[in-house]
Order: sequence, then C-alpha cells, then structure tokens
Amino acid sequence: MEPAKEIVRFDNVGLSYEDEPETLSDVTMTLNEGEFRFLTGPSGAGKTSLLKMIYLAHKPTRGKFFLFGENAADAPRDALPALRRRIGVVFQEFRLLDHLTAFENVALPMKVAGVNQNQYREDVSELLNWVGLGHRMDAHPPTLSGGEKQRVALARALVSKPDLILADEPTGNVDPAMGERIMKLFVELNKLGAAVIVATHDLHLVQSIGKPLLRISDGTLSRSAGAGGAQ
Amino acid sequence: MKKPARTTRAPEGEQPVERRRRLIGARGAPLLPEAGAGGAPLTAVIAVMSFLAVLAMASLLIVNQAASEWTSALRSELTVQVKGADATEIAEGVAAALRVLNETDGVIEAEERDKDETAALLEPWLGEGNAAAFLNIPAIIEVKATPALRADLDLLRNRLTAAAPGASLDDHARWHDRLASAARSGQAMAFGVFLLVMGAACAISIFAARAGLAANHEIVSVLHLVGATDAFIAAEVQRRFFILGLRGALIGLGVALGALGLAGLAMRTSGGADSFIPAFSLSGFMLIWLAAAPIATCLVTAITARLTVLKTLRGQY
Repeated sequence: MEPAKEIVRFDNVGLSYEDEPETLSDVTMTLNEGEFRFLTGPSGAGKTSLLKMIYLAHKPTRGKFFLFGENAADAPRDALPALRRRIGVVFQEFRLLDHLTAFENVALPMKVAGVNQNQYREDVSELLNWVGLGHRMDAHPPTLSGGEKQRVALARALVSKPDLILADEPTGNVDPAMGERIMKLFVELNKLGAAVIVATHDLHLVQSIGKPLLRISDGTLSRSAGAGGAQ
Repeated sequence: MKKPARTTRAPEGEQPVERRRRLIGARGAPLLPEAGAGGAPLTAVIAVMSFLAVLAMASLLIVNQAASEWTSALRSELTVQVKGADATEIAEGVAAALRVLNETDGVIEAEERDKDETAALLEPWLGEGNAAAFLNIPAIIEVKATPALRADLDLLRNRLTAAAPGASLDDHARWHDRLASAARSGQAMAFGVFLLVMGAACAISIFAARAGLAANHEIVSVLHLVGATDAFIAAEVQRRFFILGLRGALIGLGVALGALGLAGLAMRTSGGADSFIPAFSLSGFMLIWLAAAPIATCLVTAITARLTVLKTLRGQY
C-alpha cells in the first residue's frame, strides 16, 4: 500500500513576532493526505498563528516546515502562489473584499489562477446556492449579515477544490443547522481526499464529528484523540 | 483531493441572477477599487502632465519647423553687394557682376534689389529720405543658386572681384550657423522640458502606486493568500493606472490642442505670420506627434506603477 502523502509537516517550528517571545514553540506535527484534525485551545493560545503559518501568511522563525512536500519555510517568493492555490482558507474574520459582490468574492481564487469565467461560473453559482446565498450573488459584503459573510468565505475557500482546507471558527456566526451542514461538507470533502484542519472552541462540534484533536496551549501543541476517533 | 464531477445546470432551473450573469458575461469589478489608486486626483495630475508634455512637444515641432524655414531660405540664396565711390561706379559694378553671374553655371536667377527698397532698409537708423541723399548706398544683387554652386564659391567670388572690384559675395553662412545653433538650443530646451514632464509623471506614479498599495493593503494581502502572484497584482495596478492615465491624457491633449489652436489663430489674425516666428497650424503630421506625447505620459505612468508594485511586493513574504 502506498504511504499517504504528507500535506503539512512541522519539525520543531517556532514563531515569534518581531522581538517578542515565541507565540508558538517547538511545534512538531504531520498532517497527511485525507486526514482531518480539529484544533482547539483557549483564546490567544496560538491557533490562528499556527493556521497562518500553514496558509503562508507568516514565516516560521525557526524549525522546518514542509507543505505538500516542499520546504515552504525557505521557498522562494515566486513559489508561494502555487502552494497557496492548493489551500482553501475560511478566515475567522472572513476577509471578504467589500467592493466585490458575493459572486466575485467566491470567484476570486479562480480569477487569480487565470481560469476563464465561463469555466467557473457554474461552480461559483452552485456553491453559493448550496450555502443558501443564490439570491444574494450580487450583494456586496457590507450588506450581508455575519452568517452570510461566513458562508461566502466558506464558498470562496472551497471553490477551487483545494487539497488542504483550513477553517478558523467556521461555524462561529451561523445557526446550528447551518453549522452542522458546513461540518458535514468538510467531512465529505475530507472523504474525497482533502486534508482538513478546523480551529474551533466548540467542543460539542468536535465530539459530534469525532475526528482527532490537536490541542494548543501557551503556544505548544499536543495531540489527543477526538471523541469518536483515536489517532 | 479527488475532484468531484461538475454538475451541469439545466437552463430552465437557472435563477434570474445567474441567467443575467451568464447572458451578460460581465467582467466584474476591478480587483482594486478605483479610489484606492488615487482616482480623480491622479487623473487630474496626469491631465496636467499631458498638457505640459503636448506643449513641450509642440514647441519642439514649431522650433523645428521655423528653423527649417529660416535655414532653407538662407541656404538657397546668395547676396552680392557692390560698393563704389559714386552712383556711376556702382552701376558699372552691378552691370559687370550681373554679367558674371548670368554666365555662371548654377545661378538660377540674379536680380538687383530695387534701390528704394535698399534705402528703406536703412530708414530705421538714418531717418526717412536721408539715406539716398547723403550716402552712396551699395547695390544689392539677390542670387538664387544651386547647392552645387554653393558648395564651392571661391571661383565665383574671384571672378566677381575681377569684374567689379567693389563687389563682395555673401553666402549667409554666418547667419545660417547662428540660426541653426539657436534652433538646436530651442529644440534641446523643448526636449528637456518634455523629459522633465515624463520624469515628473514617473515620480507621481511611484508615489501614487505606493499610496495605493498602502491603502489597499488588506486587499493585496487577500489576493496573495488566494494565490495571486506579484505579477498578477502588478498587472491589476498597471491596468488601473493605464485607465486613469488614458483618461487624464485625453483631457490634457484636448485642452492643449485647444490652447494651440487659439494661439495659432491669434498669430494669424494679428499678422504674426509675417513675423520672425512662422505661423503654425495643426497639420496631420503635427497632430500625430502631439498625440504621441500624452500616450507616452500614459504609458510611463502605467509602466512605472507596475514596476513600483513589483519592487514593493518583492520585500514581503
């Protein structure tokens, strides 16, 4: 049997902002193709910082970091866009572009990848319909509610069918039913081969999905089994 | 990740919003908002730069045209001056000189200038009617010559002096050189102004591109995180600046053409056409060169913005 491909690997990685003490220390972990992890921990523990390193917003200050098998910590700048295109991120603060419509926000990853609009129009429409925003495609983010923005952000993260999905509190602003649908979608995408990391405070959600758990506390990472799955 | 099969939506199930989007095929809003790249102020500044660039280019063309007219007139003509102790000696000298000139190959036409006209040339210094009364005014013979004859005037000069000792030949070389030098200085100055305007457009573009990047930092960050390359972002900024630049350039060109048209009209109506600076009109040739000036401003603005963005982004993760 062919071994699973490494999607993310950290070896003794540390991250600090400017001259401050390390936000993350000695992080060592591996995420393989088709794996699903929850990331939990108290506020300010470093969950978002860890995700930022993975989606290449921050560079580790020490240690080794491999993404899709490539040395991402030392990768030249022009190699980063290709790596980022393989990642779908649902940001905690959504990070939608206010001057673009919901449709254009979702289509953004396709547009920057140079895909013709005729090729992605259906996918974008389908995703927006799936998240219940088919009637708000031409709406701009400032006119959307928090839950609607979160769903647009989700659609944007998934539109390019990424190999790695990162979600930072993806159900924080939606009702429980929509939260459950979103999590089921992540599970389905995970079954199709995408690796998934979901950062959340919602332990009930963690238990209901039953996937392995990464716990972060004071900048250090530990691993424990989720409610329904051992690792 | 295994790619799931794409579903094909049946047209009858299409929602109105999707249908409109499919039918219109809208390109959508630019990825960088208009206001972020300077918007109206940048357009206004580029319009002013284009206006100045067109005026500098017009100056270059007008000086070039004037210099060409001045020097071509001087190049095709010679002047023979005949002096004498009295009117009789001058008349004999003129007759002898005309004989020599008419026998010389390369002389197209030789004609003595009217004495009254010659006297009139001195009136500003000597007063009306005084020149002819008190002076033996030298006679002037105007000669039109071929370039071949002008190339070697020593033989003609010697023959004239032999036939009429009071005759001297002037090929206007001294004036021609001075005018050519003055024209070159004027052209260099106009070209220098044009380059300065282009330099100013560069500086403004660098400033505006940096300010635009700072103002749109969040947008640029999101674009990077969804996989945009620096070249993609730079191309967006370049496109934005090109549109602003084109708008400003057209405004500047229109205003400048209006100003030049009025100046040309004013010169013609005030008799300026007979003055030292020749009258100009906006010919097709001139319009092409004038249109090149704002296009250059527009391109310089857009390309500078692109290079500035690429340089600024290069230092980031």
